[in-house]
Amino acid sequence: MKNLARHLFVGLLVFAVTLPFLWMAYAAFLPPELVYAGEITRLGFSFENFRALAPEGFWGRLVYSLGVSGLATLLALLTGFPAAYALREGAPLLGLYLFLLAVPAEMLLVPLYGVLAGTHLLGSPWALVVPFAASPFVVFLLYQGLRSVPWQVVEAARIDGAGEGVVLARVLLPMMAGHLVTAGVLAFAAHWNMVLYPRVMTPETWWTLQVWMADLVRKYPSDWGLLSAAALLGTLPLAGVYLLFERKIVETFEGSLKG
Amino acid sequence: MRLRPKPAWLGLAPSLVVLAVFGLYPFVEVVRFSTWDWSGLSAPEYVGLANYRELLADPAFWHSLRVTLTFALVTLPSFILLSLVVAFALEGQPYERWVKGLLFLPGLVTLSAAAVSWYTLLSPEYGALQTLLYTLVPEDSPLAAWLVVPAWDREPFWALLLVAAFTLWRYLGYGVLVVSASLKGIPRTLLEAAWVDGATPRQALRYVTLPLLRPAVTFLLVVGTILTLQSYVAVFLLTRGGPFGGTRVLGYFIYEVGFEQYRLGYAAAATIVLLVLTLGLAYAQARFMEER
Repeated sequence: MKNLARHLFVGLLVFAVTLPFLWMAYAAFLPPELVYAGEITRLGFSFENFRALAPEGFWGRLVYSLGVSGLATLLALLTGFPAAYALREGAPLLGLYLFLLAVPAEMLLVPLYGVLAGTHLLGSPWALVVPFAASPFVVFLLYQGLRSVPWQVVEAARIDGAGEGVVLARVLLPMMAGHLVTAGVLAFAAHWNMVLYPRVMTPETWWTLQVWMADLVRKYPSDWGLLSAAALLGTLPLAGVYLLFERKIVETFEGSLKG
Repeated sequence: MRLRPKPAWLGLAPSLVVLAVFGLYPFVEVVRFSTWDWSGLSAPEYVGLANYRELLADPAFWHSLRVTLTFALVTLPSFILLSLVVAFALEGQPYERWVKGLLFLPGLVTLSAAAVSWYTLLSPEYGALQTLLYTLVPEDSPLAAWLVVPAWDREPFWALLLVAAFTLWRYLGYGVLVVSASLKGIPRTLLEAAWVDGATPRQALRYVTLPLLRPAVTFLLVVGTILTLQSYVAVFLLTRGGPFGGTRVLGYFIYEVGFEQYRLGYAAAATIVLLVLTLGLAYAQARFMEER
C-alpha cells in the first residue's frame, strides 16, 4: 500500500516532466489547418511544419549554433583539464574558481558588454566563444574527478621520466574520459542554452538558434506546428547526445557531488 | 605552511587569462560603469553616485526587488522540499536510475524550445492543455469549472507561479541528484545501529538520515539561491516581465533598463545590487546552516 502511493507519485512526476516533450513531438506533426481550427485533438499527420522551417533560416542557425557551442566547449575542456590538474597539484586557487562558478555570464551582461566593446569582440561571433574558452564549472568537475584518481600512478609515471604533458595526455586522459565527456556535455548545454547573452552581444545575423527561436515565438505566436517543429529539431541534437552518455553523466555528476 | 610552486601549476595559465579578463575584470568595470551616464554608444559621462540615488527612489526598482524576493520565497522551499521527497521516493526502486536520468533532461534541452512547448501547452483559454481538458470534460459541466488553466497572461500571481514551475521543472533533476548522492553516502551500519537500538523508521529518518543530509541541503540552498536570483531568462521567454510587471525580477529589470532603454550606467548600479544580494544571501545561508 505504501509502495503503491510511492509508485503513483513517481508516475505522476514522470508524466508531468515529460508532458512538454510529448506535446512538442505531437504538435510538430500536426497539420497547420487543424491548429488554426483549434482541433488539435483530431488526429492528423503532416511534414508541412518541417518544410516551413527552411525558408525561416532554421538549418543555417542550427549548424552555426552547433559550431559556436562546440568550439567554446572544446576550448573550455582544453584550458580546463590542465587547470584542474594544477589545482589537484595544490595550486591555491580553488576558491577563485568556486566564486566565479557562482556568477554566470548572464548576470554580468552590463559589464561584459563594456569588456567586449573594449576588446573589439562585440558584434562578432567570437563574442560567443572567447569569453567561454575557460569555464569554472568544467575546472571544478574535472578537479573533483582527479581527486578520485590514485596519485601514485602519476608519481610512478614521473619517476619513469614522464613530463607534465605526458602525464596529462597519456596517463590521466584515459582515466578521466568519463569526466571529460560529462563536463563537455554539461558545458555544451550551458553554452547552447544562453539566450540573452547572444541577443545582446551580437547583431541578428549572428544570433544563435536560441535567440532566433525566442524571436520566432514573437513572430508567429499562434503557429504552434511551426514552433513545435523548430523546438523538436532544436532539442534533438542535445537530447541525443545526452541519452547516448546519460548513464556516464548521471553517475559522474552524482559521484562528484559526494566529495 | 609555505607554498612550493610546482611545474604543474603552469596549467592554470590559459584558463586564468580568460577568466581574469571575462570573469574578474567585469567586477571592476561594473563599479566603474555604475558611476556613468552611458547609453553604450555615446561617450560616457561621469555622474558620481547619481545612479544609486535614482535607483533608491525608483518605484520600478523596489517593485522588482519585491517580485524577486517573492519568486525566491516560492521557488526555493519547493525546490528543496521536492528534491528531498523525490530522492526519498526513488531510493532503492528498480526505476531509480532511469527516472533520475529523465529528470535531468529538462535542464539540458534547448531552453527556448522548452519555453515554446510550455507556452503553447499552457496558454490560458486556447492552450493545448485547456483544449484537451474541454474535450474530456464538456465545458458546461460543473467539473469543468475546476479544470481551467489560470489566466497567467492577466494575473501577475499566476504568471509568477508559471515561471516558478518552469524553473523547478528545469532544475529538479540537479536537486534530486544532490540529495540522492548524499543519501547514498550514509553508511548503512549507522541506520542498522539505530534499528538495533529500537528506533522506528520515522525516528531513524528524523534523528539519523535528515541530520546527515544537512550538507546537501545547505549546498542546494546556496546553489538554489544563485539559480533563482538569476533565472530571469525564463521570464524573458515566457512573460517578458508582465503582466503589469508581475514577473519583472531584478535580472530582467537590469536587462530592460540596460538593453531596451539603453541606460547602461543605471543598469550597472542595479547589477551591483543583484550581485550583493546573491552573494550575500548565499553566504548568509551557508553560515546559518553551518552554525545550527
